[in-house]
Amino acid sequence: MRYLMLVLSTPEDPELRPEDAAGAPPIEGWVEKYYGSGAAVLGDRLRPPADAVGVRVRGGRALVTDGPFSETKEAIGGFDVIDAPDLDTAITIASEHPMAHGGAIELRPFWPLGLDGSGATDGGA
Amino acid sequence: MTAPAAVAVEDAFRGEWGRVLGAVARATGDLDLAEESAQEAFVAALRTWSRDGVPDRPGAWLTTTARRHALDVLRRRRVEAEKSETAVRRGERVDGPGRAGDSVHDEVERGLDDGGWSPDDPDGDLVRLLFTCCHPALPLDGRVALTLRSLTGMTTGQVARAFLVPEATMSQRLVRTKRRIRATGIAFRVPPPALLAGRTDAVLAVLYVLFTEGYDAWAEPADEVEGCAERRALAGDAVRLARLAARLLPDEPEARGLLALLLLQHARRDARTGDDGVALTLAEQDRTRWRREEIDEGLAVLDTALAARRPGPYQVQAAIAALHCRAATAAETDWAEVLALYDVLLDLAPSPVVALNRAVAVAEVRGVDAALAAVDAVGQDPALAGYHLLPALRADLLTRAGRPADAVVELRRALDQVDREGDRRLLSARLAALAPR
Repeated sequence: MRYLMLVLSTPEDPELRPEDAAGAPPIEGWVEKYYGSGAAVLGDRLRPPADAVGVRVRGGRALVTDGPFSETKEAIGGFDVIDAPDLDTAITIASEHPMAHGGAIELRPFWPLGLDGSGATDGGA
Repeated sequence: MTAPAAVAVEDAFRGEWGRVLGAVARATGDLDLAEESAQEAFVAALRTWSRDGVPDRPGAWLTTTARRHALDVLRRRRVEAEKSETAVRRGERVDGPGRAGDSVHDEVERGLDDGGWSPDDPDGDLVRLLFTCCHPALPLDGRVALTLRSLTGMTTGQVARAFLVPEATMSQRLVRTKRRIRATGIAFRVPPPALLAGRTDAVLAVLYVLFTEGYDAWAEPADEVEGCAERRALAGDAVRLARLAARLLPDEPEARGLLALLLLQHARRDARTGDDGVALTLAEQDRTRWRREEIDEGLAVLDTALAARRPGPYQVQAAIAALHCRAATAAETDWAEVLALYDVLLDLAPSPVVALNRAVAVAEVRGVDAALAAVDAVGQDPALAGYHLLPALRADLLTRAGRPADAVVELRRALDQVDREGDRRLLSARLAALAPR
């Protein structure tokens, strides 16, 4: 099963303690371990929200905005797609990511549309 | 049906429901199918045991029957899926899924056939089921309900009545929780080592919530509060589940700590309400009505937990409960030791509610003024806002300090905030004693 790992920076998290952030393992080891094993499929760092570009089509015209749609305190700093047999495995992988210590990780389970013919369409409808 | 068969089915239901359900759940990963199959197995037992006699190993019989039912259902579904697939192909869609799903089906069916079920580890499926139902990725109310439904075999209607919600609401809650298990990919497994400690805490927390829900009802006037008897029974269910957890998690002293705590508290249940359904404090309770044999068991369990020398919040709370249970009268309580244990508890698990309870011990050891200061030190914590025990305790301390007028103000505040009938009567009686009309 696939999960999108949203890597969040959470500067206003009241439970964030400097010693937790300081104890975060280096990202290189994480990348080596999980991209090496194939558990991580795709991922990268993202430019900050200030560099976001919004696109909407309204009345047949593409409207483009600079910056993100919503001002949230958490910013998505990066993402990884991971392939894990179950949620606990995904949680273990996420908990070893440095930003789980210095920020937060949000795991979003894939909900396959099945358009590629794999037939997997089960989910939470 | 002959009586022995009926009794055997009932015994098996109490003892084996979770195991039967767990065996199918592990093989299929489908909790709905597991529930349906377990139900079928017990219905079949009712039908056949009175005719053919009770099997030597009722649990194994039930598990086999449930697995066979699950296998039938899966095969039927597969045939239907193949039929519709053929229909789709006739309609010229040749880019279909092919047979990709078959290997999964085969694997599940093999799992159901031989079960991967080892009689050497009959508890394995129960452990997995417990961790699954108590997964912290599930909403807390769903965890509590699903644990009851899956591990005790209570029906949805029974769970609903115990939580005073309509059956349709509880049914929805269970459906949503099971759907979330599927959607997020929660597997029927013991958590990996790195997560085990946190997940054990999560299991124990669910059992404690369940116990409190039931134990609170023992301080209510049973005849007048709707659903009180059903809620009271939850406390006993929680004790049984804690006993199971302590057995299933032998390396976790906190699991035994929780069992000890629940046993020691539950032993006092008969003494928690007085005449007129008024809640009684520890000091007011008739200690001859505490259940001695349950206290003895709790003390013994606590000793084995403490012997591991890995203290935790449940063990410390159980040790505090043990001090109360050991005192023949309230006056004989070893308050200095109680206070010392509250200090340990605050260190392990800081909480304003614990700090408030600690203030009760402070009053006994250091006097009423020190206790009032301790209460004021936590009184501003937003977590205590609207909590009736804060003004109730202040009222008690102010009364003892010879300030009845101030106590009356606090009692009135407590009465505004209290929601349980037994406690309301307790506070009303105290108010009447201070401000007779």
